Amino acid sequence: MIALSDYLTVAALLFGLSMAGIFINRKNVIILLMCIELMLLAVNINFVAFSHYLGDSAGQVFVFFILTVAAAEAAIGLAILVVLFRNRRSINVDDLDTLKG
Amino acid sequence: MSFEQILFYLFSGVLVLSAGAVITVRNPVHAAMFLVLCFVTTSALWLLLEAEFLAITLVLVYVGAVMVLFLFVVMMLDINLARMREGFARYLPIGGIVAATAVGIMGLAVGRINFGLDVWPAPPARAADYSNTRELGEQLYTTYVYPFEIASVVLLVAIVAAIALTLRTRPGTRYQKIEEQVVVKKSDRLRVVQLESEGRK
Amino acid sequence: MLENYLPILIFIGIGLVVGGGMIAAGFLLGPHKPDSEKLTSYECGFDAFEDARMKFDVRYYLVAILFIIFDLEIAFLFPWAVVLRDIGMFGFLAMVMFLGILVIGFIYEWKKGALQWE
Repeated sequence: MIALSDYLTVAALLFGLSMAGIFINRKNVIILLMCIELMLLAVNINFVAFSHYLGDSAGQVFVFFILTVAAAEAAIGLAILVVLFRNRRSINVDDLDTLKG
Repeated sequence: MSFEQILFYLFSGVLVLSAGAVITVRNPVHAAMFLVLCFVTTSALWLLLEAEFLAITLVLVYVGAVMVLFLFVVMMLDINLARMREGFARYLPIGGIVAATAVGIMGLAVGRINFGLDVWPAPPARAADYSNTRELGEQLYTTYVYPFEIASVVLLVAIVAAIALTLRTRPGTRYQKIEEQVVVKKSDRLRVVQLESEGRK
Repeated sequence: MLENYLPILIFIGIGLVVGGGMIAAGFLLGPHKPDSEKLTSYECGFDAFEDARMKFDVRYYLVAILFIIFDLEIAFLFPWAVVLRDIGMFGFLAMVMFLGILVIGFIYEWKKGALQWE
């Protein structure tokens, strides 16, 4: 049998990997957005696992809403990225220093 | 080791490896492809957890739509790959330390002691005619009706924001006006001209 | 319940074996005689000036975004259709309101001309 701790460990590993990804890919906004998607995925694995082991489907309903919000977030985030690239010709985080003064 | 356990370790191994590939590969297109692999293996894990509707939704919405959007953006932006890799080696140690610490702490919390099989026994397998979609739907449209309506508002905001941010019509472009084409009469476009025949001189 | 998904597992396995087998067979059976001339992009003529990657137009991106939104809407419709007999008038009106709000967005994009292709 698969224990609940196995699923939680996988989700923790996934979360840690995406956190490391945010640290090492801090120049590339697209990879940063992908890492955020991975983090949300790790959280969703936790929700579904708990929902299964508690026998309560509220967790799965919540995952459905998280999927909705994450898709909207990705759409708007990428739209901002496109506008940014159009204005600055770059998506390097270092080049986005207009407010620095 | 049961068959389900073999499947679990297989899929979660692929999941962790491809997540590692997402954050380390050089080419953003490859990173997006590995992210697709992550989503597919996660969907298999959710099937093992008997969340079949969510598993299929993940493939349908994420692999089918969100990742296509990511690929479009990667292809749309002309990115200087060499500059993007700056600082990769510099931040690797601190990123590794922070992530390892976080995973270590979480691993202590979620280990077998707190969430093992003897503390959280696995629920019995569902019958073959159990419908996860039905169970979700019974809750989604009654108990959770307000979050459901708010979800539609979030989607509306996403539509409006995406259009307002990225839509840019160039002046002077010509569109096909279908409604004008449909209602046009013969008298609007056609003029019969009577010409005097020129006789041979 | 999981037994119902055995065909999908077999399908994934066969897909992996066929796809991986073809790549492996091509790799193992094909002749490998690389030399420096053969590995350049062009055996004669100029070197390439720039990337082979071509930039896409923004309009594809807009269509993809609108596709995501309506894809999610369809995902919300599936469980609704399954339980429509049980949730009665209340569930029906909930979905009417949901679709009504999204139709506002649809009218907006139509009037803005986001669906136009010049």
